[in-house]
Amino acid sequence: MTALLEAARVVKRFGGLTAVDGVDIEVAPGEMVGLIGPNGSGKTTLFDCLSGIQSIDGGSVSFDGVDITRRRPHQVARLGMARTFQLIRIYRDLTVLENMELSTQWAGVGLRDLFRRADAATRRKGEDLLEFLMLGPMRDEPAGTLSGGQRRLLEIGMALMSDPRLVLLDEATAGVNPSLVEDIKDRLRAVNSGKGVAFLLVEHNVQFVADLCERVVVLDAGSKLAEGTPGQIMDDPAVIEAYFGAAGRARQTNVGDAGGNGTGAGP
Amino acid sequence: MNSRRSARPLRQWLAGGRGLAATRVAVAAVLAWLIVLPLVGATDSTMFTMTLMFTSVAVAINWNLTGGFTGYVDFGHAVWFGLGAYVTAILMSLQANSLGIGWPPVPAIVVGAVVAGALAGLIGRATMRLRGPYFSIAMLGTFVAVREIVRTWGGLTGGGVGLTLPPYLNRQLFYYVELVLVVGLVALTWWLRRTRFGAALVAIREDELGAQMRGISTTRLKVAVFSFAGASTGLFGGLWAYQNTFVDPDIAFTEVRTIDAIMGTLLGGLGTVAGPVVGSVVLYWLREVLWANLLDYHLVAQGVLLIMVVLLMPRGIVGAFDRRGVSARRLWRFRRRQADDQPEKATAP
Repeated sequence: MTALLEAARVVKRFGGLTAVDGVDIEVAPGEMVGLIGPNGSGKTTLFDCLSGIQSIDGGSVSFDGVDITRRRPHQVARLGMARTFQLIRIYRDLTVLENMELSTQWAGVGLRDLFRRADAATRRKGEDLLEFLMLGPMRDEPAGTLSGGQRRLLEIGMALMSDPRLVLLDEATAGVNPSLVEDIKDRLRAVNSGKGVAFLLVEHNVQFVADLCERVVVLDAGSKLAEGTPGQIMDDPAVIEAYFGAAGRARQTNVGDAGGNGTGAGP
Repeated sequence: MNSRRSARPLRQWLAGGRGLAATRVAVAAVLAWLIVLPLVGATDSTMFTMTLMFTSVAVAINWNLTGGFTGYVDFGHAVWFGLGAYVTAILMSLQANSLGIGWPPVPAIVVGAVVAGALAGLIGRATMRLRGPYFSIAMLGTFVAVREIVRTWGGLTGGGVGLTLPPYLNRQLFYYVELVLVVGLVALTWWLRRTRFGAALVAIREDELGAQMRGISTTRLKVAVFSFAGASTGLFGGLWAYQNTFVDPDIAFTEVRTIDAIMGTLLGGLGTVAGPVVGSVVLYWLREVLWANLLDYHLVAQGVLLIMVVLLMPRGIVGAFDRRGVSARRLWRFRRRQADDQPEKATAP
């Protein structure tokens, strides 16, 4: 199995703080990988390093066999890696459909294409994807009028517009109501099995990750703490210690530990 | 929201059916009037006034390309006007030209535009790394610096004394040339707004990092449009220098030209195609009226007008009917959203 995304010993420092400290991560074509960890463990920073938004201080990143360590974000995107953001990035003053039309693949767009209108095929593709994401009725509304959950869906749609091979999803379910979370899960699964799109997802919703991913990577304080199936991860004492804190450990072992006076991060 | 809703019936009327026809008829009538105006005995002074108005419309259109569509608010746009004017003047004037032979006007003006565009490309590559107010101030600094260089470099530019161009006072020719150029510019922005390029510029305005992550080479596109705007404003600077037959640093590089472009665009509608045209024309005539009636206070009245526009109709005259316009209150705010992410990254990775 050759990896689609392969990051080796990635290091990112902010002054004296090492946010990502020698993390290895691989995603195979068509695979769904979860990336979890407590707040401040470096998940989003790692995403920024993978997608070219942050330059890295050590290690290497390659995508589809191409070294992308020093590539700019738009170059990475053109290779077929799309992403969404923890703080949603949509074009709020444009209509929902215009948002989609603006997110098509830019690889191979020549000078002549630059001065042409978006073609009918792009438009239809945008409309179809919006239907698929249950945003069809909203397509002519300004994107700023969408609810939080709908904005997440739109951003996922925008990521899919470019026919990516890998999508990095940063907190796709944050601030989304539970029934919509189920819908998002279904749609992601359908895209994954139907089109073979690989996903790397940062999540706080552990159940969401467990339902979708065959493999989960746990980060803690910038380092990889554990890696394995969702079942293995949930049973790993080190993960429970780091992620669920002392409260989790108490729950797991039924031993009332005196150290658990609210200092641990809750799930 | 409210103002948009209340404007809806009118907008529909303007956009569809009879409204569209009415708009077209009105535009055609204005164009026809502009074409016949010099033929039905307009005086030289009227044509000169009109030509100056065309110049201010053109500069506003160019400013709107970066300020309105791309979201880079340029406080030094007049620098390209001055550069175009000065390059044209240096090439045409006998006292500055070391060969002792002045260039003919057309190549001199074209070279002036090319130099302005090339320098805009170079300077834009550096200053457009900055965002929001930082970019605005960097451009204001560029403007002042270039003016002082021109003032100091006496051997080439005549210094503070300025340069005199060979006079050629065919007002009618200038009138028609500028009319054609302005109509061409409007058509160009109208078309550009509908292309993939224009859409990418709007994406840069709305969220530059998001645009990059979706594969748009934002640096190349924003510098390209900035350079084009510089060249176009430089062209009008060259034409102005030739008509004025004289340039000195203070009249070629005047910040009023930048302020007028910004005010005209805000009044007409930021980020719309027709906004800078409508706004600049209204502003131009309004100033004539204010100037004639309130000589001492006309600038105060103008300032009050600007404040009222931002407070009461931030989307401008055209923006009230065109959803694609941008509110003047968002002149910089769309950049601040990106700044929001930075501390989050730096402190809580």
